[in-house]
Amino acid sequence: MKVFFELGWFFKERKKQYLVGISLLIMVAMLQLVPPKIIGVVVDEIGGGSLTVGSLVKWLSLLAASAILMYVIRYYWRIMIFGSSMTLAKRLRAKLFHHFTSMAPSFYQKRRIGDLMAHATNDVSAVQQTAGNGVLTLVDSITTGGFVILAMAITIDWKLTLIALIPMPFMALSTNYYGKLLHARFHHAQAAFSDLNDKTQESITGIKVMKTFGQDKEDIADFKRLSDEVVAKNTRVAKVDSLFDPTISLVVGISFFLTIIFGAKFVVAGDMTLGDLVSFTSYLGLLVWPMLAFGLLFNIMERGSASYDRIQNLLAEKMDVEDKEDALSIRPQGDIEFNINSFTFPGDETPALKDVQFTLKRGETLGVVGKTGAGKTAILKLLMREFDGYDGEIRYGDHVIGDYQAIKLREAIGYVPQEHFLFSASLYQNIAFTNPDVGEDEVTNAARIAQIHDDILRFTEGYNTVVGERGVSLSGGQKQRISIARALLMKPELLILDDSLSAVDAKTEEAILESLKEARTDATTIITSHRLSALVHAHLIIVLHEGAVVEKGTHDELMALKGRYFEMYQLQQLEQQVEEGVSQHE
Amino acid sequence: MNEEQKITLTGKEQWHVLKRLLTYLKPHKKSIVIALMLLLITVLGDIVGPLLIKIFMDDYLTPRHFPTNTLVILATTYIGIQILNSVISYLQMLRFNILALKVIQQLRIDVYSKVHKLGMRYFDKTPAGSIVSRVTNDTEAIMEMFVSVLIGFVQSGFLVIGVYIAMFALNWKLALATVILLPILFCIVYIYRKYSAFYYMDMRERLSQLNAKLAESLSGMSIVQAFRQEKRFRDEFDEINEKHYKAVMSSIKLDGLLLRPVIDLVYAFGLILMLSFFGITSFSEPVEIGVIYAFVSYINRFFEPINQVMQRLSIFQQAIVSASRVFTLLDDKELDPQQLDDPSVKMSDGHIEFSNVTFSYDGKTDVLKDISFTVKPGETVALVGHTGSGKSSIINLLMRFYEFERGEILIDGQSIKNFPKQTLRQQMGLVLQDPFLFYGNIESNIKLFNENMSEEDVKAAAEFVQADQFIESMPNGYKHLVSERGSTFSSGQRQLIAFARTIATNPKVLVLDEATATIDTETEVAIQASLDKMRQGRTTIAIAHRLSTIQDAEQILVLHHGEIVERGTHQELLAKNGLYHKMYQLQNGLVQEVG
Repeated sequence: MKVFFELGWFFKERKKQYLVGISLLIMVAMLQLVPPKIIGVVVDEIGGGSLTVGSLVKWLSLLAASAILMYVIRYYWRIMIFGSSMTLAKRLRAKLFHHFTSMAPSFYQKRRIGDLMAHATNDVSAVQQTAGNGVLTLVDSITTGGFVILAMAITIDWKLTLIALIPMPFMALSTNYYGKLLHARFHHAQAAFSDLNDKTQESITGIKVMKTFGQDKEDIADFKRLSDEVVAKNTRVAKVDSLFDPTISLVVGISFFLTIIFGAKFVVAGDMTLGDLVSFTSYLGLLVWPMLAFGLLFNIMERGSASYDRIQNLLAEKMDVEDKEDALSIRPQGDIEFNINSFTFPGDETPALKDVQFTLKRGETLGVVGKTGAGKTAILKLLMREFDGYDGEIRYGDHVIGDYQAIKLREAIGYVPQEHFLFSASLYQNIAFTNPDVGEDEVTNAARIAQIHDDILRFTEGYNTVVGERGVSLSGGQKQRISIARALLMKPELLILDDSLSAVDAKTEEAILESLKEARTDATTIITSHRLSALVHAHLIIVLHEGAVVEKGTHDELMALKGRYFEMYQLQQLEQQVEEGVSQHE
Repeated sequence: MNEEQKITLTGKEQWHVLKRLLTYLKPHKKSIVIALMLLLITVLGDIVGPLLIKIFMDDYLTPRHFPTNTLVILATTYIGIQILNSVISYLQMLRFNILALKVIQQLRIDVYSKVHKLGMRYFDKTPAGSIVSRVTNDTEAIMEMFVSVLIGFVQSGFLVIGVYIAMFALNWKLALATVILLPILFCIVYIYRKYSAFYYMDMRERLSQLNAKLAESLSGMSIVQAFRQEKRFRDEFDEINEKHYKAVMSSIKLDGLLLRPVIDLVYAFGLILMLSFFGITSFSEPVEIGVIYAFVSYINRFFEPINQVMQRLSIFQQAIVSASRVFTLLDDKELDPQQLDDPSVKMSDGHIEFSNVTFSYDGKTDVLKDISFTVKPGETVALVGHTGSGKSSIINLLMRFYEFERGEILIDGQSIKNFPKQTLRQQMGLVLQDPFLFYGNIESNIKLFNENMSEEDVKAAAEFVQADQFIESMPNGYKHLVSERGSTFSSGQRQLIAFARTIATNPKVLVLDEATATIDTETEVAIQASLDKMRQGRTTIAIAHRLSTIQDAEQILVLHHGEIVERGTHQELLAKNGLYHKMYQLQNGLVQEVG
């Protein structure tokens, strides 16, 4: 029942539909009483020899009229109640999606996409069932059940009604018990299915690795193990699920039995007619559905309640980073001052950044060097305000970045991630991602700067080439360059290349850096790279080690320091010298 | 989306799909026969119940004749049948349920095994999400059908036949008259199926669009957010959501018109038919009340299962569509390149020869043109060239990801097509540029289901590629959790784990597909050292965009637009003053600017 109260806000909102729908349901419940009564009357008139053509036509017309009326009403309550439940599904889905779009990356790191999908599909549909079928079964079991019992007691015999109802509480008790059992088992079955789903998802995404290692037999065996689990868990569900119908029909059967025995007694005693007894048994037949509905109701409510809880939990997740109330709605511009004393990723123990300070003037380029895990990405994440909880201050222009609306801050930043992700759309749409209505010139211009224009023209479909899921048909380097073009199209105040030239060859890298320099004279750029060649022109280079800045300066200054950067450079230099030595011989 | 859209099936196609689905029942013949027997017994019980009451009414109640012994027997029989029926119907339902679960499990395993047999071409053109749907959701829909439609259908069939037999026995004239209900019901089912197929298709299509949008948005959320396209994505989602809602509403309306409400209408018609028959008969001859009672009971029982089956026709529709998609996948011919699987063909030295290989992905543009080269055992051949020059295609052919028709690839003098697949997989280790980690822990990722690998082997492999240090610094060491796609690791760490994975299998041939591209210089130096170690005694084919990493290769092939334009050692190529020299100078020059 709890779930109906939790959904109260929705029922209130759709008051009209639900009131009309429930009224119609009640009307059907009443009309349903007509046929059994008519059967009884006709039986009695046949038995008593009082049936005439006129009375037969009268009763049958009444029967026909009630049947047609029921048909019409049954159509409309469906629209009202089931229709409303679909509205709820639509609303919840939209709510979840909108919520997903506002959740920070840390939210996605904690969860598997398959699970989030399940919440937005299975859980929503379980809640929708509650608002549709749940309401139906609740109303129907109460009204139909109630009216039938009343009809039996008032129009036929209250004593017989009481006797016939004796076994009924057992039905309610047992279905309730089964429902409880089912809930837990169903949950396990769902979990097993979800594991199977995740496994499949993963193996298919990593199919190339699977093929490389030829572990298909072992992988299939693993899949079989998980599917055994699904069978086992679902068998447990079936063991309870299959109890409902037999229990109900047993209870009803006993009730029938009692009715016939005691009904016969009453008929013999002259308290009721044989026709009444036939009507009565027909009414008993009508009671089966409300009782079944009652069993179903628990099922639906249990599922709906669990699903609604999960949805509410998801929706209750707070955004990591929220705008201040009086946040500035201006696009940040100017110098960047980065002053972090310490920052630790939520859930980590050791800080990802320690005492990182630098100032980047507008139009300058910052190079960030360091091993994987040295803190390069952490700096970028903080700049983009993906995380807030740090000791220190980051200023962009005249304000700290927390003062700007997050959306305005991001508007200023063009980010090219390490992991390229393209959407299932045309190349044109992928590049024009931030502005789908942008002119062709701007798209090709961005593509030219990113050195991908010629590659695109080489495709038969050109800019209309559709890239599949995760852009399968493109090489890593091509994907990276599309990502760069995508970021360039928004003409960002700050362009961040997060190791995003790694899959591009040297020639292309140089061309990209060169055209970037030309096209973005006043704009600020941050490049992280493990290839020093990408950073040489930077106005400032910081060298990170275990989250701390160990060296800072221009290329020349860093070289003069003869420290870590110098070493790294020497390493590359050494390689060059070997090569040069070789070529001098020639 | 492509195959998702094609879900209109003709009646004939549906029938074929259903027949094929039923073949999955074959191995369970015994179980089915038992379940059907149980079902038969329950139907018999259902039929006999009203008959007993009819006997009681007409033979004892109406004449007011109550012999105790006979009545006790009658009552005991009735109640006995009720109890027995409940027990048997429980067993029967459970049996059918378990049967459906097993059938679906087999189907799932078949689909999953088939997926493993499919070639890369299939994966190139099919989104992963839709393959996953085939394996899990579609099969789930089929199970729904087995449990609630097919079983219900059989049950209804049995019951309808039983009810008719009983009715004919009681009053053949009325029974004959009620036969008219059958064509009416049949028409309704026919019309409903015809229209619902259309609306249902529309609804399914909207749903799959909705899910596709959701899945893609979730995977690319960081990009959506970084480029503040949240609003656009919400709007797009809302639009699809609205369309889906409209489609669902249409189908609710159709259900309202042609499902349960109309069946109840027919039920009323049946009652009218019956009452008029008895009424009219009563004008000329006496009518037994018990017979009326029995007919009313039978008509009630007769409609209940029909109602249930009708209600679930949409499940049937969905399952047939799902099944046809599953079968399409099962029948897909885009298989992995076939091997001759001659067990006598063994890889001894790892001598690789490409001989005039020409290859095209789409059958139109050749991405490799007349490629010939030889790699001697233990030697390294490096492939350099621009992106799109054909480097990766060479590896794709060598790894047998794609079939080729023109030219030949020989390993130790034997065509690559003759080797057993297992040999190829065991002896050739590929390291991809984009390392893929599986959910599990570090150890399971290095083992990758290879149960023969001991913990020591795993550690040795990790040590070999110098991944041991960072692994041991993790809170749980080798058992450290790897989340989906290893997202908590840096790309360098992921690559190190992938290296260890390859080394652990101890391959004869090493294939490196820009394996060091995503690793920073310092890590790379370490990896380079272990790569050198790995390469000893192994034939190596390496793609590298950084020329410095491959200059000790015995042979370097320079590719350009699918052709080998230059070949030789590092020094030879430099002396040629050609493309390689240019590429070299470029990389060289870039660094010189630094200095």
